[in-house]
Amino acid sequence: MQFKDQLDFVRQHVKKNRMRIFTTILATTMGCAFLIVLASVAFGLQNSLKKEVLSDDTLTRIEVYNDGNKEIEPTEIKKMKNVNAVTMNTLIQTGNLEANIGEYKGSPEVILTDFKENEKANLKLSKGTYPEKADGVVVGYNVAQILLSKEDEKKLEKEKDASKINIGIQESMIGKKITLNWKNEETKKKVTRTFTIEGVGPKPKKEWEQDGTIRISKENEEALVQDLKTLYGKKLKAEEMIYRTTAVYATDLEAVTAINKALQDEGYATYTVSQQLEEMNLLFLALKAGLIFVGTIAILIASIGIFNTMTMAVTERTREIGVMKAIGASPKLIQRLFVMESAYIGVIGTVIAVIISYIVSFAANYAIPKILYMATNEKKFLTTEIQFSAIPWQLVVIAAAISIGVAILSGWRPARKATKIDVIQALRQD
Amino acid sequence: MITLTNICHTFSIGKKGQERQVPVLKDVNLQVESGEIVAIIGKSGSGKSTLLNTIAGFLKPDEGKIVLNHKDTTHLSEAEHAKFRLKNVGFIFQNFQLMPGLTAFENIELPLKIQGMGKNTRFQTVRKIMERVGLNEVLDHYPNELSGGQQQRVCIARALVTNPSIILADEPTGSLDSETEKEILELIQSLNQSFDLTFVIITHDEEVANSAHKKYRMHDGQLQEAIYSAV
Repeated sequence: MQFKDQLDFVRQHVKKNRMRIFTTILATTMGCAFLIVLASVAFGLQNSLKKEVLSDDTLTRIEVYNDGNKEIEPTEIKKMKNVNAVTMNTLIQTGNLEANIGEYKGSPEVILTDFKENEKANLKLSKGTYPEKADGVVVGYNVAQILLSKEDEKKLEKEKDASKINIGIQESMIGKKITLNWKNEETKKKVTRTFTIEGVGPKPKKEWEQDGTIRISKENEEALVQDLKTLYGKKLKAEEMIYRTTAVYATDLEAVTAINKALQDEGYATYTVSQQLEEMNLLFLALKAGLIFVGTIAILIASIGIFNTMTMAVTERTREIGVMKAIGASPKLIQRLFVMESAYIGVIGTVIAVIISYIVSFAANYAIPKILYMATNEKKFLTTEIQFSAIPWQLVVIAAAISIGVAILSGWRPARKATKIDVIQALRQD
Repeated sequence: MITLTNICHTFSIGKKGQERQVPVLKDVNLQVESGEIVAIIGKSGSGKSTLLNTIAGFLKPDEGKIVLNHKDTTHLSEAEHAKFRLKNVGFIFQNFQLMPGLTAFENIELPLKIQGMGKNTRFQTVRKIMERVGLNEVLDHYPNELSGGQQQRVCIARALVTNPSIILADEPTGSLDSETEKEILELIQSLNQSFDLTFVIITHDEEVANSAHKKYRMHDGQLQEAIYSAV
């Protein structure tokens, strides 16, 4: 029998028992949709958390720490395979620093860095370019708001919430001169450096973060550290004045694991976002498996309906099966026709379930933040992009395989029963 | 051609553990030449239907040998028997055994669908056979919209559509009035002549049996001597 004729045969019988088949499909749909929607919660929350983790840093970044075992050697690390750039930032953490641009004053943090490596690592600026010369600086995105004039300070005294008033430097920072003064309160001596702002750092990805750093070229390090040592007393060790952070940037995401392993083999202590993601993914894998298992129980309950429907179909069609066998239908064909009928129920139920699940998922993502906002009056539910439900194609494939597989298995036994029908007994039925 | 040699069959009757063995076919020998119409006549319970079911392969004989069209079918599996029937054997039933949800055309088409024949060839074959048995007017009628005679014609057309050489008929006129019975018997004779078909007809009606080339009487599971008809 040609496949198309087999399908026609199945369709004819489905039509004949429309109501019964409809309720069975409905049960299958509900089971499968339950599985998809349930598991979609885990997928959605995982996506939200992933986004949160990824927004914190770039994926190709590996942080390298000096845990006392080994001195960090950027030149050696750069020789490693697939390493794109190595940035070593040195935070000057000593002394009493005051920065000023004209009448605007403040106390930002100063970081010495290698601009060429930053550029190679593809760390984008919001404005301007990375400086070529040693007297050029890149200021943090929020430095303009940190440096205040006397007038600004008065405004702040009146209004504590800084977000409600315009303070700091309003015009573009590019090209402005910034002076950094380190003071020794005891000796009243000063170390002064003046730089030209050539770039403004990127906007912090998190709302609550503020970037108030001033990044100067590492070419200034030796002279500056020497001057600061003189200013604060020669006894102060260079290691106590500065704090270094080193980051290795891989050429692509695939290379991160290999570089990370190579660094650890070299004796460095490291941290990557992908490590954190791996741990998180493992946790969510367990959660998803658990939810899919619970959803499968719903499908198994629906399978009882399919089993009943197919058993009734075989009983009702005993005479028909007898005639088919008498005129030459093989037991295999009879079995296939019944298995196809149960698979048909499974496929239709699954297709409807997938459509319904997508609608429910979309509605949940749209409505839940609004409901939470109404209940708590917290605006963050409306502004932050929390995904409550996500249905990736993998979930659809898993759910479809479970649902259709269970449907076929449910129809298997009735189909086997159909092949065993005795022709003589069947033809005697009215 | 049909050859039955020393066919024996016994039924087990009664509750489990208290079964009784009832022999229904006792050493039956039968030779049907190709193109012959053979009638087997007997009272109810004489074993004639069991004999037909054994020839068809619905029942396996306890002993003996069945050869259909030079093929020993005695020990064929269920699937092999089905395949053999689909090519070589057609069935005519007393109560027609038509599918109620299918039209006359679709009922006749069914064996061809099982064979896996393409739609266009199927259409032409079915139309031809419907014309031959006089069903041109009712091709899209459902069985409940047909008379007894028309239903039996559909059943005959379905038996013939795969072009078999053997037709097994179980009381083909048992549900028909005498006038229709006559028509159906004439149709069987005409088809026998046109297609050189071999017919085995089971009946308890002397008139039906007399229309055959050879007539065997079945009594208590045994086949008695053949009586040659004047037809």
